[in-house]
Amino acid sequence: MRLFKNCLFAGLTALTLLGAAQVTGAQETDQVGRSTYLEALKGKKVIFVPISQGMDLNQAWVVVWQRHAARYGFTLEVRDPSGDTNAGIRAMQGAIAEKPDLIIVQNPDVQTYARLLKQAQAAGIKVLQVNMQSATQTDSYVGNDWIEMGRLEMGELAKHCTGPNAVSHKVVWLAGVQTGAANIYMRTGIDEVLKANPELQLVSDQPADYMSEKARQITETVLQQHPDLCGIMGIWDNAEVGAGAAVAAAGKQDQVTIVTNGAGSATGCESIKNGLLDVIFNFNAPIQAEIAAQQISELLQQPDRKAGSEKTIFFGPITRVDKTNATGRNCWKLDELK
Amino acid sequence: MAGSGKSDSARPGIKMSQELVVVAISAVLFVVFSATLNNFLSQGNILAILKNVSILGTLAVGMGFIVVGRGIDLTMVAVMVVGVAFSIWISTWGVDFTLAIIFGAVLVAAIGLFTGIMVAVAEIPPIFATLAIASSVYGSGRIVFASDVLYAPSDIGWLKFVGNGTILGIPMSVIIFAAVAALMGFFLKKTRFGRLVYATGDNPNAARTTGLPTRPIIVTQYVISALIAYTAGIIMLGLVTGIDTRLYNSSLIYDVLLVVVLGGIGLSGGQGGVRNVIVGTILVGILTNGMTILNFSYTSQNLIKSVILLGALAIDAIINPRDEQTSQSGDI
Repeated sequence: MRLFKNCLFAGLTALTLLGAAQVTGAQETDQVGRSTYLEALKGKKVIFVPISQGMDLNQAWVVVWQRHAARYGFTLEVRDPSGDTNAGIRAMQGAIAEKPDLIIVQNPDVQTYARLLKQAQAAGIKVLQVNMQSATQTDSYVGNDWIEMGRLEMGELAKHCTGPNAVSHKVVWLAGVQTGAANIYMRTGIDEVLKANPELQLVSDQPADYMSEKARQITETVLQQHPDLCGIMGIWDNAEVGAGAAVAAAGKQDQVTIVTNGAGSATGCESIKNGLLDVIFNFNAPIQAEIAAQQISELLQQPDRKAGSEKTIFFGPITRVDKTNATGRNCWKLDELK
Repeated sequence: MAGSGKSDSARPGIKMSQELVVVAISAVLFVVFSATLNNFLSQGNILAILKNVSILGTLAVGMGFIVVGRGIDLTMVAVMVVGVAFSIWISTWGVDFTLAIIFGAVLVAAIGLFTGIMVAVAEIPPIFATLAIASSVYGSGRIVFASDVLYAPSDIGWLKFVGNGTILGIPMSVIIFAAVAALMGFFLKKTRFGRLVYATGDNPNAARTTGLPTRPIIVTQYVISALIAYTAGIIMLGLVTGIDTRLYNSSLIYDVLLVVVLGGIGLSGGQGGVRNVIVGTILVGILTNGMTILNFSYTSQNLIKSVILLGALAIDAIINPRDEQTSQSGDI
C-alpha cells in the first residue's frame, strides 16, 4: 500500500514538473544564441581530405569531428586518398567542384595542393588546414608549431648529449618526407638548437619516410659507423619504433636516447614502456581536433565572410611524455574518444 | 634449360655476362667503400648489410621464381602487409598469436591460388592481373583494419627470436633469407617441378603442346610466391615489432623487381635462378648501406637506384635479345 502511495506521489510530481516545463516554453530555457548557432550549422557540408585515414592522429580527429557533426547537424565527409598523392589531388579537385561550405585538408607536402587551395579560396570555399600546412595560407591552420617541435626534440637531445657525462655529442635526425611541412619547419628548429650547441654533431640526416623498417635500417647502419651514438630524434612514434628496435638489437638502450613526437595514442605509450622510445612530444590529437572543431564552427557561423579574407593560426598543446607520465590522457585509445 | 642452351649457341662466351657485370660492380663498390668509409668492412657492418636486405632478398627470391616462369607478381607487398596484418587483427580477438599466424598463411595461400587461377586459367596477363589483385587485397585490408600500423603482442618468444636472435652470430633474419633462397635453389635446379617451371617460362605454348601441365605449374608458383611474401612479412614483424600496411604505397615492389632484373633474370622467362637474386640483393645492399653512410639524400638514392635499373635492363636487352621465338610467344 505504501509502495502504491509512493508511486502515485512520484508520478504526480513528475507530471506537474513536465507540465510546468511545457508552460514556461522554449524561449526562456534556451541558451542565449544556441538556436542561431544550430541554424548556422544545420545542413552545412564539410569535406575532409586527409593524407591517410589509417594514421592514429587522423582517426582521433575524425572521431571528434563526427561527434560535433552529429550533435550540431552539419555533415562531414572524409575523402581518403590513403597515402596516394595523385588520388589526393583528385579528391581535392572533386571537393572543390562540389562547392562545400568548408574543406579541411591535411597536406602531404607544402606544394602539391598549393594551387588547388588558392582555387578553392577563389571559388569562395573556406579552407581549414590541419597539422600539415601548404605553402598557401588559407582561412585557418590548426596543428603543431613544428619549429617549436624541432627545437624541443633537439633540445632534449642537447640535454643528454652535451656536457661532461655525455657518451658522445653525436646525434641523428630521422626525417619523414623531406618536402613535408613538418619536416621543413622542424629542421629550422633543429638548426637553431645545433647553432646554440656547436659541440652537437649531426652525423646522419636521412628520411625514413614514416616507415619503421626504413628507420630500423638507417639506425642499424649508423650505429655501425658511430657505435658511441648518443641520441636519435624522429618525427612520428610509429616510425621511430624501428630505430628503437635497432638500438635494442645492438644492446645500446641505456646509451642512445630516442626522442620523437606523436599523436599521443596508447601504442606510443606502449613503445615507451617496452623501452623502444624514451621521450615522445605528444601533440594530443583529440585536443587538436577540439581546437579544429571550434574553427569549423567559427567558419560555418560566418557564411558572409569572404573565404580567405581573415587568416588565423592555432597551435595545439605539446606534452613531454616519458616513462613517468605515459598513462591516462597522455595515452588515448580510439574507443574512449567515441 | 632451353634458355641457357639458346644463348650458348647464339652468343658463345658471353653467357651469364650480366651476372658477372653485377658481381663486378658490387666488388668495385665494396672495395671503394671499404677504402673510403670507416667501419664499412667491420663484421658488424657486413652483418648489418645482410640484415637490412633480408626482407628485400626474401621477396626477390619469390619474385625471381615467378619471373623465371615468365610471370610477374606485383601482389607480393600487398600480400605481405595484409597477410601479417590479418594475423595480428585476428589475434586481437583472443586467438592465440601462433595460431593466428597459421590462419594468415592460409589466407595468403588462398590469395596466391586466386592470382594463379586468374593468370593461368583466365589467362589475364600477369602484370595486369597482379596489379589489380594487389590493389584489391590492399583495399580490402584497409577496410577491415582501422589502422595502418598494427603491432604484434610483445610477449611472443619465437617472434622476438626472429627479430633479435642469432645462430653462431648470424641474425635470424639473414638465416631465414638464406634458408628460403637455398630451398628455392634446390627446388628450381634439382626437382622435376623446378625444371618444368623453366620449360613453361621459356616457351609456354611449346611446353603446353608437349603435354606439360602448365596451368597447375603457374598456379602453384603464385601460391608459393605469396607464402614467401608472407615469410618476409614475418621477418619484418620480428624486426620492428609491427607491420605498416602503407608499405604497399612505397617503392618496395619495384625494388624487388630491381633486384631480380639486376641479378640477371631475364623478364622473358626461362633463365636465371636464385644465384642471380642473391647477386642483385647484395649489390642493392652494398649500395644502400654506402649511400646511407655517405648521408645521400633520399631523392639522390632513388635516382642512383633507378639509373642502375635502367642500365641493367639495357644490358639485359643486349645480352638476351628477343629472337623470333620469344617475341612470338609473348613477354610479360
